[in-house]
Amino acid sequence: MKKDEAIVGIVIFLFGLLTTALSLGMPIGTFRMAGTGMFPLFLGILLMILSGVFVLRVFLQGKEKQARKEASIESSESPMQLILFLGTMVLATLFFSRLGYPLTSFLLVLGLLRTLGIKRWGLNILISLVTAAGSYFLFVKWLDIPMPKGWIGI
Amino acid sequence: MFDSLQHLINGFGIAGTVQNLLYCLIGCIVGTIIGVLPGIGPIAGIALLIPATFGLNPTSAIIMLAGIYYGAMYGGSTTSILLNVPGETASVITCIDGYRMAQKGRAGPALAIVAIGSFVAGTLAIFGMVFLAPPLAEAALAFGPAEYFSLMVFGFIVLSNVTGKSLLKSLMMAIVGLIIGTIGLDPVTGDARFTYGSVSLLGGIEFVAVAIGLFGIGEVLVNVNQPSELLDQGVLMPRMRELYPSLQDLKRSMGAILRGTVSGFGIGLVPGPAPVIATYASYMIERRVSKHPEEFGQGAIEGVAGPESANNSACQAAFIPLFVLGIPFAPPTAILLGALLIHGVSPGPLMISQHAGLFWGVIASMYIGNLMLLILNLPLVPLFANILRIPKRILLPLVILFCFTGMFTVNNSVFDIWMMLLFGAMGFLMRKWAYEGAPLLLALVLGPRLEVAFRQSLMISHGDFGVFIHRPISMVFLLATVLFLLIPIFGIFFKKLRKGGI
Repeated sequence: MKKDEAIVGIVIFLFGLLTTALSLGMPIGTFRMAGTGMFPLFLGILLMILSGVFVLRVFLQGKEKQARKEASIESSESPMQLILFLGTMVLATLFFSRLGYPLTSFLLVLGLLRTLGIKRWGLNILISLVTAAGSYFLFVKWLDIPMPKGWIGI
Repeated sequence: MFDSLQHLINGFGIAGTVQNLLYCLIGCIVGTIIGVLPGIGPIAGIALLIPATFGLNPTSAIIMLAGIYYGAMYGGSTTSILLNVPGETASVITCIDGYRMAQKGRAGPALAIVAIGSFVAGTLAIFGMVFLAPPLAEAALAFGPAEYFSLMVFGFIVLSNVTGKSLLKSLMMAIVGLIIGTIGLDPVTGDARFTYGSVSLLGGIEFVAVAIGLFGIGEVLVNVNQPSELLDQGVLMPRMRELYPSLQDLKRSMGAILRGTVSGFGIGLVPGPAPVIATYASYMIERRVSKHPEEFGQGAIEGVAGPESANNSACQAAFIPLFVLGIPFAPPTAILLGALLIHGVSPGPLMISQHAGLFWGVIASMYIGNLMLLILNLPLVPLFANILRIPKRILLPLVILFCFTGMFTVNNSVFDIWMMLLFGAMGFLMRKWAYEGAPLLLALVLGPRLEVAFRQSLMISHGDFGVFIHRPISMVFLLATVLFLLIPIFGIFFKKLRKGGI
């Protein structure tokens, strides 16, 4: 936990450092007439200070603190399921414009249900079909929201 | 005072149109469903429904979104009482005595007292709003950029202090939110910042993407990461032996409802996750003043009536800083600020005069909404609770589809979906490492305003930072900020002192 906490702190510190470095490439101006880069520069420095203090504190903490279960999720219980779930969402986003809304929503729900363990194809297809059709009629037909039509053209 | 009452009556005229009544009802029902579903809180719920309001006028849109907010608070209590599953964080405290009552076959009286308490609190809170908002708006006219800057800093510090377990982590998240808020056009000069030629980034990071990502997708991912058997978790409805509270129940609850209303209203006016703090504060008060403190935790009706009234009262009071100062003190009202801005309404001291119809219409609609929830609550409780019977394996993909659709409809942009996924992954990791999303979201929404206030203050003072302490109101806010920062440090010091470590 201690090591992980420190790594997260360092990542945040690096984010602050990057913000500071990028802000310096913009006009800073004066306090009287602040430039575009001044506010993010302040924020970057402040974030570096806070994350620096945080990392330092993590290292200085006693051993009893290490055992404290601070995290809301203690360990990754189903990492493969999580990766597949995320992957399905990424694929759906990637092909959203090309496939169109109705087909993407059908495939997205189908993929996610499968990932979460609904193995019966009949039930899986039925839920996906009903959901995709329902959301299509709600958003596209009723609320008149323009959605990508894709190659199926609806 | 009479002017305010006259305006309120006009507000009822606006809120009472068929169209607005319908949107209020939709908001209350959708909010209740969102509140019932664990994980999808009012923040993600409001954010998801913003695109559905694009075709509406601002008044109807905010009436519906506000309905989602307090409807969610209502729905959250239903599952707390029936299933010991808080639908959202403000309902956690209701589980203690509410669920015990349900176990004893008294779910009906518990649910009824939630409805009655919320209605009474909502009614009294509206009067509080009517009489407090106009003078506060007048006072806020004296606020300059320095006062706004100090007030916003105060808000960040208080919110960071009361959310999560670590002030440092919450502060870091607030700064990250402010940095993300600087992406896009410079609010003063109009120069592009951190956009690197991307047209999609010129308008900044869409706050709806951040809200849905952090609070919607993030929560779904946390559920997906759970052991497989938890995704099939079934729920059972308890028996409802009695449906309505007895006269004795009502007598015991009345004091708790009134105390909860007053304390909740006061807490709702200050920065922080008001409903959560209000429910805890009310529970503590009730246990202290009760003649039978031993009954708390065993199904004391005051333990349900007080916190639920405080919850509702705080929710409504939170609208005052949003409408009058233009500064949301809590994430759900931050989302509502975003919705107001999308609809071309800029809240602030002049809102009451410039958008009187919207202001008073929304206030009146809250009263009507509370009445609707009171009427709908009991007969529809079994229906709402049945939603929880849907296994998570089926529910989670539907939530994701709704997030995708809702996100795309904001700007018709696939880029926003990518952003939502990015912040969803970030939200998951933040939960994993106990970082709070609320300060980040609030900072993102308020960031551009904070920057403008900061730069304008320095321009007015010719670069003198003393402007923030020379102006009395600003100084008061900064002193309060320092005090809030020192509280945890003093806490640690006294703890060590007691242990004999110093």
